[in-house]
Amino acid sequence: MLLTPNAMGRPLRLGLYLTTGAIAAFLLLPILFIVLLSFGSSQWLVFPPPGWTLKWYGQFFSNPEWMDAALASLKVAVLTTFTAVALGLPSAFALVRGRFPGRDLLYGLFTLPMIVPLVIIAVAVYALFLKLGYTGTLLAFVVSHVIVALPFTIISIINSLKLFDQSIEDAAVICGASRLQAIVKVTFPAIRPGMIAGGLFAFLVSWDEVVLSVMMASPELQTLPVKMWTTLRQDLTPVIAVASTLLIGLSLLIMIIAAALRRRNATNA
Amino acid sequence: MSAVMKDDTRARPLVSLRNLNKHYGDFAAVDNIDLEIQDGEFLTFLGSSGSGKSTTLSMLAGFETPSSGEILVDGQSLVNVPPHKRDIGMVFQRYSLFPHLSVRDNIAFPLAIRKQGAAETARRVDAMLKLVRLEAFAHRRPAQLSGGQQQRVAIARALVYEPRILLMDEPLGALDKKLREDLQDELRQLHRRLGITIVYVTHDQEEAMRLSQRIAIFSHGRIVGLGSGYDLYQNPPNAFVASFLGNSNFLRFTADGNDAGRFEGQAVAVRPTPGLAAGQEALIMVRPEKALALTVEQATREPLPAGWNEVGATVTELLFLGESQTCHVATQGGTPLTVKALSAAGMPMQPGQPVRVRWAVADACIYTEWAKSDLSKGAGAH
Repeated sequence: MLLTPNAMGRPLRLGLYLTTGAIAAFLLLPILFIVLLSFGSSQWLVFPPPGWTLKWYGQFFSNPEWMDAALASLKVAVLTTFTAVALGLPSAFALVRGRFPGRDLLYGLFTLPMIVPLVIIAVAVYALFLKLGYTGTLLAFVVSHVIVALPFTIISIINSLKLFDQSIEDAAVICGASRLQAIVKVTFPAIRPGMIAGGLFAFLVSWDEVVLSVMMASPELQTLPVKMWTTLRQDLTPVIAVASTLLIGLSLLIMIIAAALRRRNATNA
Repeated sequence: MSAVMKDDTRARPLVSLRNLNKHYGDFAAVDNIDLEIQDGEFLTFLGSSGSGKSTTLSMLAGFETPSSGEILVDGQSLVNVPPHKRDIGMVFQRYSLFPHLSVRDNIAFPLAIRKQGAAETARRVDAMLKLVRLEAFAHRRPAQLSGGQQQRVAIARALVYEPRILLMDEPLGALDKKLREDLQDELRQLHRRLGITIVYVTHDQEEAMRLSQRIAIFSHGRIVGLGSGYDLYQNPPNAFVASFLGNSNFLRFTADGNDAGRFEGQAVAVRPTPGLAAGQEALIMVRPEKALALTVEQATREPLPAGWNEVGATVTELLFLGESQTCHVATQGGTPLTVKALSAAGMPMQPGQPVRVRWAVADACIYTEWAKSDLSKGAGAH
């Protein structure tokens, strides 16, 4: 390291702390705001809140519309997670171990949804499902979410598969296991952190996805972000702050789990 | 219990490789290899990287399919048998233990795959833990073991299902020198006790000498030398093996007949060599420790014994290596030679001094055919 915090002068170091602090505050304050507002007693989202209450949480959990949306979100996210891992696992194996022409092209194709603007994917998928008559169904939600979640899952699994020494799998084969047995009994446990991380990423992508979901939603089936979006356009209620807080809370929890897994994986290797 | 049984049918070939080839496109990684591996033998494939030794081992294990040729074990073809049904044990260079399993479960893995009963599994795993002296580490994970311990687990895992053949692919390459030598001794004892057939791959010739009963030297996908370490070193079958194993001096001479010739104009006697005819160019190979360097005074004091040759040279460099020392000289014709002697014997000469270099005719090998690249160290890879 050429420029470590200890090697610089005191004023420079102070300046560095200040800018870093300012950036962190800029990123974190809106989240802190919304969490505080969800406990505030003011109907009009006044800040600072005149008092503290759990009333809005009560309203959120007793309103079937909110609960249905939260449940739908959870259902879509869980299904997206499993589908993305189920599809991502064989894709990652093919992309890492396969020796075929066009492999790099295929990798590019699989990761394309990370680059293509969401709106374009959303319009395309919407047009397709409209034609098939599937808009507003669970299938439409899951399929469209899997499209954008899959690149994250594949990349995560590819990374752990590349780190895995294939001679360990060969050792299982020479010990008497068929290739499939060796993959299931030895390779899968070894790349499990990558699989779980890939699944968590898929969950996160689906959990706060709004562009595709707005297109896919119907009055009967909508996810939490969609419900927030439509509610926001009608009236400004602190219940939205509650929904935001829950959304953030679960995302945060999943990120912590992913980080813990990554750390455990790093110490094992 | 085939691995533990030691029968006396020593000379029976257990494995036969016949016209074995492996091509990648136009490139012959393994080029028409024929080899018989005896039951109970410790055979080492020695060669530089890319010489075809690991590819041959891989074909034995079943991870590579031969382009053509046969692999027979006990007369049965293995070519179409998948690796998991070959009942061969293998130890890899990077240990390749299952990271999520304990030492005990790693060793038990082959038995679990074979659906062996719990009592029998426990008995055999215990015996293996004892064999590799890791009883105290049974519940550890591989990551909690040292490199040497991990490799012992890998050996136990490869032996627990009592295969007749154990393949080892540079298993000690990742360990430091001292530990490597300890494990070499352990391996040799293990082989002696179990009577199992071991095929070992290494690029380290000292390791090959230390471990094996026979060595197969690989170069450019072919076996260019096969025999005991002693024979290959003392009587290399060709100039490549002479140059590859240990150090060697090559003197290019013109034959006057099948047992004499001229080296840089000086008469030299050589071993009677079939096919060596007057006027033919050939090579004399002398190991540095078989040659003597004498000062002019020493040479006049000690007359040349019968059956010895002598050529004049000038000292270029003297090197003290502790146990031994070497004297580098150049002949009048510019041929560099090296003479090696134990330090205790002493070397009274100085750089720039004229010396007489002597060697016994019986100690020098004669080669009538060679390629220029054979004479440089480290050749043999594609």
